Amino acid sequence: MPYTITDACTGCTACVRKCPVGAITGERKKVHKIDPDLCIECGVCGRTCPVNGAILDQLGNACTFVKPALWPKPMISIKDCMSCNICIDACPVGCLSLSKGAGPGNNHGYPYLSDEKACIGCSFCAVECPVDAITMTAPME
Amino acid sequence: MGKGYMGKILFVDLGKGTFQEEVVPDEVYEKYLSGQGLGAYILYDRIPKDADPLGPDNILGFVSGLLTGTGSLFTGRWMVVGKSPITGGWGDANCGGTLSPAIKRCGYDGIFIKGVSKKPVYLFVDNGKPEIRDASHLWGKDTVETEELLIKEIGKKNTRVACIGPAGERLSLIAGIANDKGRIAARSGLGAVMGSKKLKAIVLSGAKRITPRNRDEIKRLSSKLNKIVQLKLPFPSGPMTAYVGTLIGKMPTQMVQDGLLYKSLLQKWGTGSMNQMSIEMGDSPIKNWKGSNEDFGLSISKATNPDVFKEREMVKYHCYSCPLGCGGICTMPSKYDSYEETHKPEYETVLVFGGLVMNKDADSIFYLNELMNRAGMDSISAGGSIAFAIECFENGILTKDDTDGLELTWGNTEAIIALAKKIIAREGIGDLLADGPKVAAEKIGKDSINYAIQAGGQALPMHDGRNDPGFALHYSVEPTPGRHTIGAQLYYEMYQLWKKVKSLPKPKFIYHKDTKYVADKQKAIMAAACSKYNQLYNGAGLCLFGAFIGASRLPIFEWLNAATGWSKSPEEYMEIGERIQTLRQAFNIKHGVDPKNFKASERALGRPPLEKGVNKGRSVDIEKMMADYWETFGWDAESGKPTKETMDRLGLNQ
Repeated sequence: MPYTITDACTGCTACVRKCPVGAITGERKKVHKIDPDLCIECGVCGRTCPVNGAILDQLGNACTFVKPALWPKPMISIKDCMSCNICIDACPVGCLSLSKGAGPGNNHGYPYLSDEKACIGCSFCAVECPVDAITMTAPME
Repeated sequence: MGKGYMGKILFVDLGKGTFQEEVVPDEVYEKYLSGQGLGAYILYDRIPKDADPLGPDNILGFVSGLLTGTGSLFTGRWMVVGKSPITGGWGDANCGGTLSPAIKRCGYDGIFIKGVSKKPVYLFVDNGKPEIRDASHLWGKDTVETEELLIKEIGKKNTRVACIGPAGERLSLIAGIANDKGRIAARSGLGAVMGSKKLKAIVLSGAKRITPRNRDEIKRLSSKLNKIVQLKLPFPSGPMTAYVGTLIGKMPTQMVQDGLLYKSLLQKWGTGSMNQMSIEMGDSPIKNWKGSNEDFGLSISKATNPDVFKEREMVKYHCYSCPLGCGGICTMPSKYDSYEETHKPEYETVLVFGGLVMNKDADSIFYLNELMNRAGMDSISAGGSIAFAIECFENGILTKDDTDGLELTWGNTEAIIALAKKIIAREGIGDLLADGPKVAAEKIGKDSINYAIQAGGQALPMHDGRNDPGFALHYSVEPTPGRHTIGAQLYYEMYQLWKKVKSLPKPKFIYHKDTKYVADKQKAIMAAACSKYNQLYNGAGLCLFGAFIGASRLPIFEWLNAATGWSKSPEEYMEIGERIQTLRQAFNIKHGVDPKNFKASERALGRPPLEKGVNKGRSVDIEKMMADYWETFGWDAESGKPTKETMDRLGLNQ
């Protein structure tokens, strides 16, 4: 089930600018719409929307605004990571990159958050990591 | 709830400039999985039997694996399918890198392209929205330049590219399709098919979710497997691998091989771990299959020692979802620093440009590797063509007048590099050799066909059937001939299928080497099992090196059930593999290919046998082995054609 927009939408377009797959359309100051075929349920629209209740998540629950600085970010455990690149591929905004090698004695590359500002806190990297090497951590206010 | 696959495919007609999405029924995945199984299902009906492989009716498909993106490991392989311009029959090629999940992230399990564009184009699929764009500015660029320019042009971080280089543009029948700056789906000549369509690249940028039925179970299985993968066996040094090879070569008996050993070798050095060991144990052909390990002894072959390649490795390279990382990115030797870096040369590339042509200059192999990757050319076939040309030159069939002045003698590094460049450019003698050794021999005549070591036109890889007759059989009997990535007696041992499929025979733990050459029914059963399993794991998108870890450790059947929600037994999955293999063979029959013509070159079968070296006196009873294999598959033992009963049993006559 994709996210949906209710009549409470004010058409501010904040979600349009953040949606990584261009699933949200609508005229400014009018109720917007999410294309269910495009929505990937990353939830960034819900976290971005300033009007509580204007966006419902995949279970029909009203989303609430969260300051971007408080969105959860991936913490990657190099000890558990197997350099498989799954997290990098899973990221819809491309904010993870692979390092150029861990150092002497270990020349595997490991993923790191290379573009923190771009991260939308969707947690897809953590969900898809087969060995649970990633935990999503929200910064403290 | 998802089933691991996307349930949709995209059709593109480059002649008309149209797109069409098609929903694929669940039953199709249950019968063929995804990957090349889905590809065979789609192409069998839709490519007309008289289609010119380089014409508009041929369909080129890019397909992802069913398990790709589900949290399973080793499942990042993508496949390209179509009618092969080399064999005139079924063609497919398999590659790692990053493209496989990108196909699914755009919402498709496969993208199929027919027609021919009037001008160079590329296909851009932006999260499910396809578009054909002009590629005039990219035509003539190599694969690395093309990929870099396209990623810049698209401007999105999650952009993935598969493209042809100059080889594909020039319709070289040994051209492949590259992704991730030089990893190539190299075989079957499908780069030429892409070139014939004037399709420079496909560019994918998508973020769709790939949803298996039970991701938690898949992750549990993956975690367990990863613990095994990360167990590292101690290997003292690269030179030691050579001595192990010498020992294996000298012993009259052989032990069943456990893939965990190979896993550890791959993890440390990559496929190059086998370079020198393979020469010593008689696995790698020398001097265009005419020589032996004695002609390329330890003091010469040390140039190919795995440490030589590891020393230049800056960072390990992992394909998507691979916990092992057999690849690497290497610095270039100073003599060849016109390029900054190259993918670590793979075993096949090292040996075709090493022992096969008697070249003992390791630095040149890094360079030849990068030349091939950038040209988008199959290094196995290019090396086969060069070895063929050298032998023709040595025997007076080709002279300096023919070779544009090149002194084509064994081990002449400069001449080998010059010839490789001519083949890529289709310039002078290079034009003659750019379609592989068989086509060249047919043009030259004068019995030069004896020096073209191939099966069905496909140059043979660097595993000697005189050492493991299973390789000779699979080279000769597969719908895509001349492949080393499907089966062998060694592969049967490492696949360990008997631990999951109870009807399959368990090999003897220790056996005399002489028994390898006895063609019997049990070997045919083992070979057929390899072929079925290969089709199955290709359909899942799984890597050969994952399969080497052994079916008792690699949870492929369990992953498939968890991804799809099915509850199929290993036997039922093996029947899917059997169905795909039989459909590929039926494709060949439909297109007028005679399976008997795929028999590997006589020299590669030990006819006459070598007079020295590890494989001295060995020959392969290939005709009996082929007949036994066909019969085991339920194909006619005389002709290799699938029987009506078999087609009916597998539901292929509907």
